[in-house]
Amino acid sequence: MVNDLLTSPPGWMHAAIFFGLGACLLMIVLGFVTYAILAERKVLGFMQLRPGPNRVGGRFGLLQTVADVLKLLIKEDTIPKAADKPLFILAPVLAFAPAFMVLAAIPFSDHLKFSDLSIGLLYYIAISGITTVGILMAGWASNNKYSLLGGMRSAAQMISYEIPLVISVVGVIMFSGSLNLTEIVEGQKTVAYMFLSPLGFIVFLISSIAELNRTPFDLPEAESELVAGYHVEYSGFRWAFFMLTEYVYLFAMAALTTVLFLGGWNPVPFLGFIPGIIWFALKFSLIVFFMIWVRGTMPRLRADQLMEFAWKVLLPVALLNIFVSAVVKELFLR
Amino acid sequence: MIRTEEMLLNVGPQHPSTHGVFRIVLKIDGETIIEANPVIGYLHRGTEKLAENLQYTQIIPYTDRMDYLAAMTNNYVICHAVETMMNIEIPERADYLRVLVMELGRVASHLVWFGTYLLDIGAMSPFLYAFREREAIIGFLNEISGARLTFNYMRIGGVKWDAPEGWIEKVRDFVPYMREQLAGYHDLVTGNEIFLNRVKGVGYYSKEEALDYSLSGANLRCTGIAWDLRKDEPYSLYDRFTFNVPAFDSGDAWARYQCRMAEIEESLKIIEQAVEQFPESGEVLAKVPKIIKPPKGEAFVRIESPRGEIGCYIASEGKKEPYRLKFRRPSFYNLQILPKLLVGENISNLITILGGIDIVLGEVDG
Amino acid sequence: MKGLAKGLKYTLSNLTKQNVTTQYPDVPLQMPDRFRGIQKFYPEKCIVCNQCANICPTDCIQLTGNPHPDPGKKGKIIDTYDINFEICILCDLCTEVCPTEAIVMTNNFELAEYSRDELFKDLVWLDENDNNVRKENKA
Ligand code: SF4
Ligand code: SF4
Repeated sequence: MVNDLLTSPPGWMHAAIFFGLGACLLMIVLGFVTYAILAERKVLGFMQLRPGPNRVGGRFGLLQTVADVLKLLIKEDTIPKAADKPLFILAPVLAFAPAFMVLAAIPFSDHLKFSDLSIGLLYYIAISGITTVGILMAGWASNNKYSLLGGMRSAAQMISYEIPLVISVVGVIMFSGSLNLTEIVEGQKTVAYMFLSPLGFIVFLISSIAELNRTPFDLPEAESELVAGYHVEYSGFRWAFFMLTEYVYLFAMAALTTVLFLGGWNPVPFLGFIPGIIWFALKFSLIVFFMIWVRGTMPRLRADQLMEFAWKVLLPVALLNIFVSAVVKELFLR
Repeated sequence: MIRTEEMLLNVGPQHPSTHGVFRIVLKIDGETIIEANPVIGYLHRGTEKLAENLQYTQIIPYTDRMDYLAAMTNNYVICHAVETMMNIEIPERADYLRVLVMELGRVASHLVWFGTYLLDIGAMSPFLYAFREREAIIGFLNEISGARLTFNYMRIGGVKWDAPEGWIEKVRDFVPYMREQLAGYHDLVTGNEIFLNRVKGVGYYSKEEALDYSLSGANLRCTGIAWDLRKDEPYSLYDRFTFNVPAFDSGDAWARYQCRMAEIEESLKIIEQAVEQFPESGEVLAKVPKIIKPPKGEAFVRIESPRGEIGCYIASEGKKEPYRLKFRRPSFYNLQILPKLLVGENISNLITILGGIDIVLGEVDG
Repeated sequence: MKGLAKGLKYTLSNLTKQNVTTQYPDVPLQMPDRFRGIQKFYPEKCIVCNQCANICPTDCIQLTGNPHPDPGKKGKIIDTYDINFEICILCDLCTEVCPTEAIVMTNNFELAEYSRDELFKDLVWLDENDNNVRKENKA
């Protein structure tokens, strides 16, 4: 059905349908965010020998995040006197909008996708870069020294890590010969690209954690150094938007990793009877779990080490990966 | 032309990593610190002045509130000072109990340091693991003294309570358990490359500087000077136990970390031996006069607290209350080197260095 | 890399371990017997000797006594007895000096109140605070 829609000529009807579908996706994403936050807190809790949220919504705290969001909604919205008001208000929007926009390019299964861009991968990477502007803006507009430092750090970090992130997927692009995410998944029918370019996979995974500003790369909001980094001065729903951005990106990035390296909705051999969307969800959850797990274990890197790591380790490895991928392609994929 | 400007950054007194109400005013250029001015005194309660109007027994609960992470050593230093002045002989059993609770306190204190230090550096889990073991120790101390942190356990001439039934056995069983957990911490943290990168070579100072600044405890031993009053000027029963004084000579935050982790092991050794030698029965409180009046004169004693040398000076005029009481509070002295260490470092290192010194604000501010 | 892997293994192995937290306040926290909580006061035992008020390091005990109503008996009986829990540090010294064990510790530690005034506990309150009284009061 989606394919029909995508190929048919534009019109008001289509716009309405797409709007409806988009709203549905937003709801699904919000649902995911709600439970991703809960899952994160629960998994961390279990790793740390405590039960995690367990009071609102039964023993498993199923309504905890809902309650949190409700609390944020009714909180007073404070804007510091010395803040740059228009920018301060604009920043969370600018940070969040791209996070949701990138989802348009991601195919969740054979039939479930919202667009079929021929340059889907490029689109994702380009759009997600805009969030940096939002964060930098938030850091600047708050007129707080801590948030300024946080904003600076995050700009530097996101820009440096975007480079190895992009270069590490060149291998994948070479294998599939396309920037279209659907075609990339189709190319992994027999073997997932994570096995063909393990180097690329590792570099991608590390840079994606850095892009997401998660431990061990959570410098922009380094709790113990910058208090909360770029969103120190935000409260209430504006603050919630930053949190939302973070978790929507987690969703998007995990989905992208699944698509690029884990074979998307392609089933594991012999288990083809399970529908693709479930495979996608499984692989996706695995990535999310890994990110939470890393967060539960690692300390934080230092700013200068972070830069060094990106430029001196990840980038050369990513470049090497291009070369290795070319050799692999010549030898095995002829 | 790009114009750069220095910025004044106020860290604390309400900041997640200043371990209480420490405040430091930084002059920064980008993220590099040009100048650091610590501001202390937010937790000043005037313990020393208050003590001038208190009987000696009444001072003991006040000392609990100085270094609240290892209150037993504070209890001990004041009792020890008065006992030295009055020449009181402590019953053996009481002395063993004192050693046991002090060493347990040392382990608990280092565990808190370990957890919070890793929390500063950005790892969250070690904190909760460390607190699991600390909770067990606090449980023991609670059982024997009746409070979890503010023990008020020691009395001039001995201790208030004898060990409850089964307590010694519990402590004995705790030692192997703790060793096992310690191995887990080493797995989790000590080998972690990110952690190593954060601490190695950070906050270096030399032997001479450490001595000049009158540093003590792990802050001194990290430069390779194996100075530990338990070994070098044994007080209480410390000459009866065999243990090492761990010293590492790289003089950075990594050496301080190794030092404290090794000290936990040494403390466990002492606990093990103390439990073994623990006398079957005996008094826990010497015969002391009801109202304690040390003779006219003065005394200074010093012992090894988890944070360094804690000293107590008493000037007595033969009254119920001291004429003057002074504590040499190790955190206060150890903190003095901070402004020097911070120059030229970046903000992330501020946290690593400050955390590595291991201050307790109750003690810094007195 | 090896260190990181070790750490990951350690946290993963803890994932399935038993929680160590307690479900306070759903499940009350049982303190060991010696625990020093809010005092319990026995007016009938008190001989108004003032020792507790004198030893208290924070001066938070205030008491007054009346002459014994029975003219044949010597001594005093307690009239008012207040402890100010804004400043009491639960140090145990008052219960240690009391010759008749008129003031003893309980294991109750929940002192949180909505108003400071409520931290001012009087004789009646302290008398009624009689659950979880410490069994062993003198060493
Ligand atoms: S416990 Fe200590 S502070 Fe509280 S009333 Fe008794 S003597 Fe005073
Ligand atoms: S010490 Fe005991 S008997 Fe004396 S006044 Fe206080 S409570 Fe009463």
